[in-house]
Amino acid sequence: MELIVTAVEETYKIGELLGALVNSGDIICLIGDLGTGKTHLAKGIAKGLGIEDHITSPTFTIVNEYTGRLKLNHFDVYRVNDPDEIEAIGFDEYIFSDAVSIIEWANFIEELIPQGNLTITIEKLSELSDNHRKISFQYTDSRYNYIKEIKL
Amino acid sequence: MKILSLDSATESATCAILDDKRILGEITFNYKKQHSVVLMPMIDELFNNTGMNIDDIDGFVASKGPGSFTGLRIGMATIKGLSQGTKKPFVTISTLDSLAYNLAYTSGIICPILDALRDNVYTALYTFDNSELIRTSDYMNISIDELINMLKEKNCNIFFVGDGTFKFKERLMSNLTDIGFAPAHLNLAKASSLGELGLKLLSKGIEDDIYGSVPIYLRKPQAEREYEEKMRQDNDE
Repeated sequence: MELIVTAVEETYKIGELLGALVNSGDIICLIGDLGTGKTHLAKGIAKGLGIEDHITSPTFTIVNEYTGRLKLNHFDVYRVNDPDEIEAIGFDEYIFSDAVSIIEWANFIEELIPQGNLTITIEKLSELSDNHRKISFQYTDSRYNYIKEIKL
Repeated sequence: MKILSLDSATESATCAILDDKRILGEITFNYKKQHSVVLMPMIDELFNNTGMNIDDIDGFVASKGPGSFTGLRIGMATIKGLSQGTKKPFVTISTLDSLAYNLAYTSGIICPILDALRDNVYTALYTFDNSELIRTSDYMNISIDELINMLKEKNCNIFFVGDGTFKFKERLMSNLTDIGFAPAHLNLAKASSLGELGLKLLSKGIEDDIYGSVPIYLRKPQAEREYEEKMRQDNDE
């Protein structure tokens, strides 16, 4: 499924709708270049999960943990040089738990990402405007069928 | 000799105070990992209800794993801190050893299995000989299928214990014969079991070095993981 957004507020809104639908154990991979809005989407998901904390990008901490309707693990693996590094923090224990996991730059640690994930790719549509984005959803596991309910 | 023992390598958060003859107190929560929240209050509770304080303790025992990475770090950091602060020795024991010790006097092979995720288990093989627990293999991180193949060659009773039994009981039962499973009251990591093994070492003067002692994280060798990844990609294509 694909959605086109024209402003960052819409990216946030999609996140919020998604956050209201996600289930325990869901693994959400966010892929997109710098400045495409991955963290805005993550902030929206947190909001949709009922998390009131201020969400910051865990670029330096690798993972931030929050608690709302469900627990949320927010990863940013941009700074990870080697999948071994992230495995050593107990990555598997986080993602195979009852929490929801968001992993920004998941493409950097592809070998550690289980099949049953939801991959969201954000691309700039520079030919339309600086703020246009195409947001694509990919999954093979039917647990993520709720994606179809998301409409702007 | 009185010791304080603590194990947070698995879902079980457990601590105990014991001396050479008996267990003076033990608290165990085997429900949702929340070790960093519950461990210190549990230790405090043990002291309050036994009328003791930290100065009555002559040594400490922690789990060295394998197990939950985060859990191991919480447990070892806590025990190292208490040991350093009180200037009393500490020793580390594998949770696999303590789980096997839960099944003392079992004849045949004792096989503790801990869920290492992605269909893998942390495991080792043990026997009981003249009331001594003997480990007969290395500590391993292997797939449940590899373990089953390894055990098929053994011609004796095998008893399983540990949280891996919850996930793999059916698979083990349908692939192996002459096997048994620990009853629920023995099927969890207990600080008393870990502590008793540790006490034996501490009373012989065997202790860990605070700077040298590190948990056994026991990850699969990188070459093996890369090979599995390659196989996975080949299958996808």
